[in-house]
Amino acid sequence: MNKSPDQAYWRSLEELGDKPEFRQFLEGEFPAEAAVPTDAVSRRRFLQLMGASVAMAGVVGCRWPEEKIVPFTSRPEGVDPGIPRGFATAMELAGEMRPLVVTSYDGRPIKVEGNADHPLSLGATDHFAQALVLELFDPDRSRHAVERHGGTEHKRSWNDFETYAAEHFGALRASGGTGLAFLVERSSSPTRAAMQDRVREVFPQAGWFEWEPLTRDNERSGAAQAFGHAVATNYRLGEAKVVACFDADLFQDHPTALRNAREYTAARRVEDGRMNRLYVVEAGYSITGGMADHRFPTASSAIGTTLLQLAAELTTKQGLDLPGDFGGMKEALGHAGHAPAWIPALARDLMHHRGASVIAVGSRQPDWVHTLAHLLNRALGNTGRTVVHVDLSDRNRPHHAAAMGFLADSVGRGSVNTLVVLGGNPVFDGPADTDMAGLFAKIEHTIHLSDFVNETSKACAWHLPRAHTLESWSDVRDAEGRYSVVQPLIRPLYEGRTPIELLALLLEGSPAAGHVLVRSTADGMLPVLDRETAWLKLLQSGVLTGSESVEVVPTLEGRGIVAGVRRGAAAHAPELGENNLEIIFQRDPSLYDGRFANNGWLQELPDFMTKLTWDNAAILGYATAEALGVKHGDLLTLDVGGRTLEMAAFVQPGQAPWTCVVQLGHGRTAAGRVGDGTGFDTYTLRTAATLDFSDGLKIGRTGRSYPLSTTQDHFAIDATGRNEREQRSHTLILEGTYEEYKQDPNFVEHRHHLPPLRSLWEERTYEGHAWGMTIDLNSCNGCNACVVACQAENNIPVVGKDQVGRGREMSWIRLDRYFQGEPDEAKVAQQPVACVHCEMAPCEQVCPVGATMHSAEGLNEMAYNRCVGTRYCANNCPYKVRRFNFFNFNKDIPDVQQMVYNPEVTIRARGVMEKCTYCVQRIESVKIEAKNEGREVRDGEIKTACQQTCPTDAIVFGDLNDETSKVAELTANERSYHMLAELNIKPRTSYLARLRNPNPELAESSDGHPAH
Amino acid sequence: MGILLTKEIDNTVHDPTRPHELITGGQTFTSVTDHICGIVERPGAPKAWWISIGITASLAAVMFAMIAYLIFTGVGVWGLNNPVGWGWAIVNFVFWVGIGHAGTLISAILFLLRQKWRTSINRFAEAMTIFAVICAGIFPGIHVGRVWVVWWLFPLPNYQAMWPNFRSPLLWDVFAVGTYATVSLLFWYTGMVPDLATLRDRATSKVRKIAYGFFALGWRGSNRHWHRYEKAYLLLAGLATPLVLSVHSVVSFDFATAQVPGWHTTIFPPYFVAGAIFSGFAMVMTCLIPARRVFNLQNFITLYHLETMAKIILATGTMVGYAYATEFFIAWYGGNPAEQFAFVNRAFGPYAWAYWTMVSCNVISPQFFWFKKIRTNPWSLLVITIFVNIGMWFERFVITVTSLSRDFLPSSWGYYQPTIVDILTFVGSFGLFFTLVLLFVRFLPMIAMAEVKTVMPQQHWENKTARPVGDYHGTNPE
Repeated sequence: MNKSPDQAYWRSLEELGDKPEFRQFLEGEFPAEAAVPTDAVSRRRFLQLMGASVAMAGVVGCRWPEEKIVPFTSRPEGVDPGIPRGFATAMELAGEMRPLVVTSYDGRPIKVEGNADHPLSLGATDHFAQALVLELFDPDRSRHAVERHGGTEHKRSWNDFETYAAEHFGALRASGGTGLAFLVERSSSPTRAAMQDRVREVFPQAGWFEWEPLTRDNERSGAAQAFGHAVATNYRLGEAKVVACFDADLFQDHPTALRNAREYTAARRVEDGRMNRLYVVEAGYSITGGMADHRFPTASSAIGTTLLQLAAELTTKQGLDLPGDFGGMKEALGHAGHAPAWIPALARDLMHHRGASVIAVGSRQPDWVHTLAHLLNRALGNTGRTVVHVDLSDRNRPHHAAAMGFLADSVGRGSVNTLVVLGGNPVFDGPADTDMAGLFAKIEHTIHLSDFVNETSKACAWHLPRAHTLESWSDVRDAEGRYSVVQPLIRPLYEGRTPIELLALLLEGSPAAGHVLVRSTADGMLPVLDRETAWLKLLQSGVLTGSESVEVVPTLEGRGIVAGVRRGAAAHAPELGENNLEIIFQRDPSLYDGRFANNGWLQELPDFMTKLTWDNAAILGYATAEALGVKHGDLLTLDVGGRTLEMAAFVQPGQAPWTCVVQLGHGRTAAGRVGDGTGFDTYTLRTAATLDFSDGLKIGRTGRSYPLSTTQDHFAIDATGRNEREQRSHTLILEGTYEEYKQDPNFVEHRHHLPPLRSLWEERTYEGHAWGMTIDLNSCNGCNACVVACQAENNIPVVGKDQVGRGREMSWIRLDRYFQGEPDEAKVAQQPVACVHCEMAPCEQVCPVGATMHSAEGLNEMAYNRCVGTRYCANNCPYKVRRFNFFNFNKDIPDVQQMVYNPEVTIRARGVMEKCTYCVQRIESVKIEAKNEGREVRDGEIKTACQQTCPTDAIVFGDLNDETSKVAELTANERSYHMLAELNIKPRTSYLARLRNPNPELAESSDGHPAH
Repeated sequence: MGILLTKEIDNTVHDPTRPHELITGGQTFTSVTDHICGIVERPGAPKAWWISIGITASLAAVMFAMIAYLIFTGVGVWGLNNPVGWGWAIVNFVFWVGIGHAGTLISAILFLLRQKWRTSINRFAEAMTIFAVICAGIFPGIHVGRVWVVWWLFPLPNYQAMWPNFRSPLLWDVFAVGTYATVSLLFWYTGMVPDLATLRDRATSKVRKIAYGFFALGWRGSNRHWHRYEKAYLLLAGLATPLVLSVHSVVSFDFATAQVPGWHTTIFPPYFVAGAIFSGFAMVMTCLIPARRVFNLQNFITLYHLETMAKIILATGTMVGYAYATEFFIAWYGGNPAEQFAFVNRAFGPYAWAYWTMVSCNVISPQFFWFKKIRTNPWSLLVITIFVNIGMWFERFVITVTSLSRDFLPSSWGYYQPTIVDILTFVGSFGLFFTLVLLFVRFLPMIAMAEVKTVMPQQHWENKTARPVGDYHGTNPE
């Protein structure tokens, strides 16, 4: 126990702490063994541990200078047991930060939300952030250091490592770091950047290499080519009327994705008199593609050419002036070739909206496509308005692929004998043409800091346990330079330390506390006067105001641009066909680069488009699959340049011909009990030169098939079903065009004909609150954040691949996805569906024991204890939102993982039905608070978990009886309708019809599906 | 013992100048008693009986093992999924309840309608009813998620004053099936009392004397006994008659009152009742045809009996076919797209194989009964009634599973496949049923002797040629 400066205040506790038995209790706090599933930890012991963590939380966070333990009986001031508290922090994925507020319940972080004070979040998060708490309590996390000699491994402690490091790194310090190399993840942490500078001082001979499998380096080199140096490109989609995405997934795969999604949907809220138009050119579906008004499936290799054609159309036919003299540009554009019919229409649309349009290119596209986009954005007057640039703090670092090459060369030359790997998993996700394991084997001293004993750890001499983000002190900068501090929510459950703590140890020879390191960085940014208050304020709000970078308008480098574009134009897109397909590497929408493979929530999260869980697959279009004779679920042999992989086929609408999308991150071998052996390791096909996509893919059939577990379309559908599904989807997801809406704002009412709806009995009336919800289909992009948020909030179990395959997934909210039109040019519609809380609920009428009943506020409530499990309610539910516990899905959950449960929500037993409750626990807690304060519940005060995390504010919850509430206003909106209203069951959730805004020029030709 | 038949006697043609011969072979009261009691009294069961019961009891044991596994593990051991919350368990329940219909119909309605031919088959059919209801009763009990609280479905007084939901058809089921089982059991037992007394009187061992004596309730065949007995029997018949119609109507409400397309239809109560009688008679025939052969009951269960039952099967089978057609017509005529799709999907969707199996077995196969040759040939009768049984099981499967698998939201459509546990439980229920049947034929009189004697020519004073011989108790005064 640390002695702290304000001892006097805690004196009595300190005395208590000095007693040997209490010390023993302290040392045993969260021992590694406490969570081993086979270890019989008594409930009593567990409660002791819990009590300790509660007390620590009481002292504001738990890795603060005043780290102390107080017994639960003497309550620290300002802490009420059982009252959850939120702490601002942040997480990083490949250097891209997500601002968070984490709810801590008696010292246990149980729920992650977005930081409402942070402009990139405004309260929203993505599904990765939502799943963070499950990762924290993952029983497979590394619990101690491991040293490997030959084939044997030895359990080690940090003390052992410190002894080793003192000797080994002492020598290295003396030699200036000769033979030392660092292989690090990308991080935006200023503290780490400072440590990197310190590494240069202490180990001038050492190498510093950065690797990220999902790199955005193309964007950098594209910008460098256009402007002479790399800058970050961000968007102001709120200002844009026309957005054209070329392989760019702005709503999910971008450092400011959440804000992009929010601003984009806000800019098409017709009630505010706003509407924009989105064009997406991409090979396989992205979230952004699903939202598009016009989507043009195009092979990745042809997207550059398409942009070239657009540029040619704009400059030669539409009279767009290039900003400056670009000698040779004309000729380069002359090579663009014949443009498809939609290019002139898009070009005209862009010309009409100069200064209010965006041309965005995705990170997968080669540099020259980015360069060209920068040029066009500048020419269209978008730069500085809808497209903004900020400087990159790490703009001079080598590209990730290059860095890996340098490292391999150094190792090959034998000039590396000590390699420190900070995080990451390069052995798994490194380029396939570098034998990473072999590389590691050549190095004498390899040290890997990682929160799991992963593939890389197993290839290293030393594995060191890493503190989880929620246990860490660190700091980050967002995509616009804003500074945030990562503060711990809980003391490390195991012996984890952070990368900066390890670096400090290696550099200085003695361990340093993370908070000291972060504080010294932060102090440099905080005002000298009243620094302490500013620091506390920074921790409280989670963001340092005024720390954002200044927007820059870099000057165009004419020569670089012309050279780049000419190079691109000269390299013709390959001729794709049956024997030369294109393979496109994509991050896994659920597992990211594979790091979340052991996270059950994410493994079971249905892919936003394929609805596939627990696997990845080779995604092919209908026509392509037919030409290849491939059926859905067939096991294929993928062959790219001699590298082969067996992988299951997934036939998907909307996929560009002769392209095959494969997602990265599955097929782990050392992920843990959840992630091992799911899917296929597609990194084995991905070389340093083909990180993004490549032609030359040959697909062969093995004649075998592979079971794929999807949450929708569980089986190959027959023609009868397919027709009906498509027809019916138009009545479930009401859609209109913006034109229709302008002519008749009540078009929904006119389209949604209902029989006279009369009840057989007197209907109940609701006085007081009448909870209801609206879901705006015009805003929802199907990003899945709500699904994981609901799972985290409501203790929804993970059931596994087999059970999903049997149609027994438990999610309370799901995203229904329907394809409409011809398979390969399908339109897609997404619809979140949870219990709609019917006033005349069919489920209630059939339950023989009255286990599901209506509350006075109109909630359709489940009394789990009363449920017998006849499943009659689920049969009679037309929305099929009821979920049955076919087994005890909460059995055998390791103790440590049980800490993730929300104590406000019952764990459901085997044999009972469950479903969305409108987050009744949140309703009640707000009501109690309001009652204590002697006031009414304010509109917007109650936020359901799905609503809170939704980046586009598609979900609104509130009191329908309160005429001034947002939800009442939206329910009265002319776009509002009730799904299956003809059944007269009076759902409380209403949907707002989706509006598409097709280009009138294209409405007939490429978007010619009847608008009914 | 009666005369052993080597050839079937054709009593299907009714000569109006003579009373219709329902019992053939010139039986006397004594020969009836001897023959029927002889089956039960034979010392040591035949080897075939032991082999049969060995098989059926093993199957029943498999079922109980499956049930134990289910209760210890969870309903997930079955093939159920999210759209299809009810699978084989409910299909089997409805199937067995349907089988149970023939008995009460024969006992009650045909009794009230003075259909004399019923006397030869009513005991067997009633026994079958009880056994079928036992099999049926197992499924709703075990299909719930938490078997240990299934008693919450009963309106038992409790300290929380919690009542079941009387609006739920499942609760109506509890009452309907419970009442039906009780009344059927009473009816069966009441009708058996005089015969049990006969067995008691003929018994040679003490155990049999006590056992049959206990259940014979001190029956002495006095006039007062007969008087009370017949009153009670008539009252029970009156009580059971509405139950024949109500129980399957209520079972059909499970579906009809739900709003699942394909379930929500007013035709279900009559359609289910017709189907139940159809399947019940088919099962009676399936069991009786081998039994009359094995136990030489051709003089008691004559071709006329078989033919009459075949006619009922033909009639009810045609009704069922009409109901299928009406469903389609109404789906089209009603103009409800969800309903329309439910029926198109039945016939042409992924479960089309089940639908056409059902139609072939239930609608087409009984049509062969238009031909007298077919309906008077025990072999063809056996084959067709087995088909009817299969068809009726599939009818319940089609109704339950196809409707659920594709209801309102296509996003949630699914496909149901049974697991091995589903299959073994169902097969095991046949094991239980036939085990009970085998025990019945071994220990109880399978033909109502007392009743059969009332339809024999000797009973009727106007019939001068046949003088009464023998009495009800098997002692021959001559």
